[in-house]
Amino acid sequence: MTTGTALWYASRATGVVCLVLFSVVAILGIMVNRQGRLPGLPRFVVTGLHRNLSLLTVAFLGMHIVTAIADGYVHIPLLSTIVPFTSGYERFWIGLGTVAVDLMVAVIVTSLLRDRLAPAVWRSVHWLSYVSYPVAVVHSMGASKDLQSGWLLALTMTSVFAVATAIGYRVNDAFASVPRSHRVPQQLVRADRTGSLR
Amino acid sequence: MTAAIRENATDRSNTGATQLPRVLSPTGAPMDLLAHLKVHGDTPYRGGPRMLIHTIESAGLTGRGGAAFPTHRKLTAVADQKGIPVVVGNGAEGEPASDKDKLLLWSSPHLVLDGLQLAAEAVGARRVHLYVHRHPELLQRLRSALAERATAGLDRIAVGLVAAPPRFLAGEETALASRVEGGSALPRFAPPRIFERGVDGAPTLVQNVETLAQIALISRYGPAWFRAIGTEQEPGSMLTTLRPADGGGGVAETAIGTPITELLRLAEHPARAVLVGGYHGAWLTPEQAGHLTLSNADLRPFGAAVGAGVLVALPTDRCGIVESARVVRYLALESAGQCGPCLNGLPRIAATFSALANRQFARSALEDLQRWSTLVERRGACHHPDGTVRFLRSALNVFSDEVTLHAAGRCSAGTTAPFLPIPTATPSYEEDWS
Repeated sequence: MTTGTALWYASRATGVVCLVLFSVVAILGIMVNRQGRLPGLPRFVVTGLHRNLSLLTVAFLGMHIVTAIADGYVHIPLLSTIVPFTSGYERFWIGLGTVAVDLMVAVIVTSLLRDRLAPAVWRSVHWLSYVSYPVAVVHSMGASKDLQSGWLLALTMTSVFAVATAIGYRVNDAFASVPRSHRVPQQLVRADRTGSLR
Repeated sequence: MTAAIRENATDRSNTGATQLPRVLSPTGAPMDLLAHLKVHGDTPYRGGPRMLIHTIESAGLTGRGGAAFPTHRKLTAVADQKGIPVVVGNGAEGEPASDKDKLLLWSSPHLVLDGLQLAAEAVGARRVHLYVHRHPELLQRLRSALAERATAGLDRIAVGLVAAPPRFLAGEETALASRVEGGSALPRFAPPRIFERGVDGAPTLVQNVETLAQIALISRYGPAWFRAIGTEQEPGSMLTTLRPADGGGGVAETAIGTPITELLRLAEHPARAVLVGGYHGAWLTPEQAGHLTLSNADLRPFGAAVGAGVLVALPTDRCGIVESARVVRYLALESAGQCGPCLNGLPRIAATFSALANRQFARSALEDLQRWSTLVERRGACHHPDGTVRFLRSALNVFSDEVTLHAAGRCSAGTTAPFLPIPTATPSYEEDWS
């Protein structure tokens, strides 16, 4: 393995790590809301994990991009980091990766500035994660032959399936959620029934 | 004609300084604009911002909505802000045991509306609202009072009427701001405090309607007149809702510092306990109530406060635990359900307390109630959990003998018929917050 192939392998490996991390971050973000939470975890742990893992994802994403550009085996211009569809190599698939990165940067920058932004602005930009994630998955599968078969395909499918399940759970939860005005009476009925009588 | 009226008004200030009622109608009949002008004269505008504030400070007026905060400090705080303030008269009165604001608005609407204009002038506001209970007849009456004033050209700023939902927390300042903006009457997190950024982000002065009526009187008759009754520290009169043990009572205007025994006629109608300050207030034993006057100086050492002037004497044939459990249950249901401590804590506290009242005593009940009380205290956006816990603790304290009886499966009450007024149907739908 030469220096050249080392970069190439590093880029592909960090890409796979990014995909898995992005899936986990997405699931954590989807599961935590006003009433829902992950079983066994306090809500602040879930939001804390969501935030910290998203920053870890950025670190791996940085490595993924730097190694891909630094690698001399195929030529990807620096411009492709920001401007989609400017790469000569795999123009479409690499371009999708750029789109996913741009959206993710918007989401992360607004999250870091959340204290200074109107909640509605932060929230609407955060919804872009739902576009960024599938675009990133399609980029991975299109740009890399590795993910199209074998256990890496299985890993990708598992990640996507897990995120889809979380979305399904969240949507169902939204329909089943108790309106704010009914929450207190419901709690009182529950407290009466279970009785704080032990 | 105006001169004659003014003279008449001055007479009153010289001779009738200790005479009651002051803010309520002297005859008892509701005062229309003509009657109001005859007794009190024109709206005494000062001609510029802040000019009234010093007079209010000398009078020593405090807020009559419950917190007894010095009115001049609130006026100054709002006038000192950068933006153009909004003034809101608060007559929402969510407390089921209190009727004084409704009666005042019915009896002397023009005194309140004068006060609203004067407060607006004092802080330099250009937008004024009156926030009152969603009661069709009252709203109609206020609309016609405003129309009368428009015809007479009394109001410099047009007053917007806003209806409050029939909820306990509707009069809470941040809930009020949210409702005046057109949203639901739900409490919000402070800071920013309402005087910094309230209605639509403007500095907002919220004054109880009785405070406004007192402002209207002080600006006419002066601080010395105002101080002619009441105590040195807490001057003036205040409206009280009195519920003596015989089931009678009503709203009365009294001098601050009047003995509680006298107000509730405790000698005639003995009480098992006395509730001071409403459902966020505290119980007193008959012995305590017997030697205390209606003033914060007297009540504070006993963990009580005059609040919005609610005084209830619990008849000797009622059980304080049963009555209090009913109130705590009501308060739990009146939670906005926004903050975890209130949403999860109050229902549990209410259920456990109800079980105790029903003599289904669990060994851990008292310990649980104490622990949960500490957990919910000061952890809400508003003071609802704090007030509820204060009421609960005083009940467990004052009725400790009764708690022991209940633990043994007994109760000393002669009747379980409810005494403390609680609205029968608690609205539970979203629209009932707006």
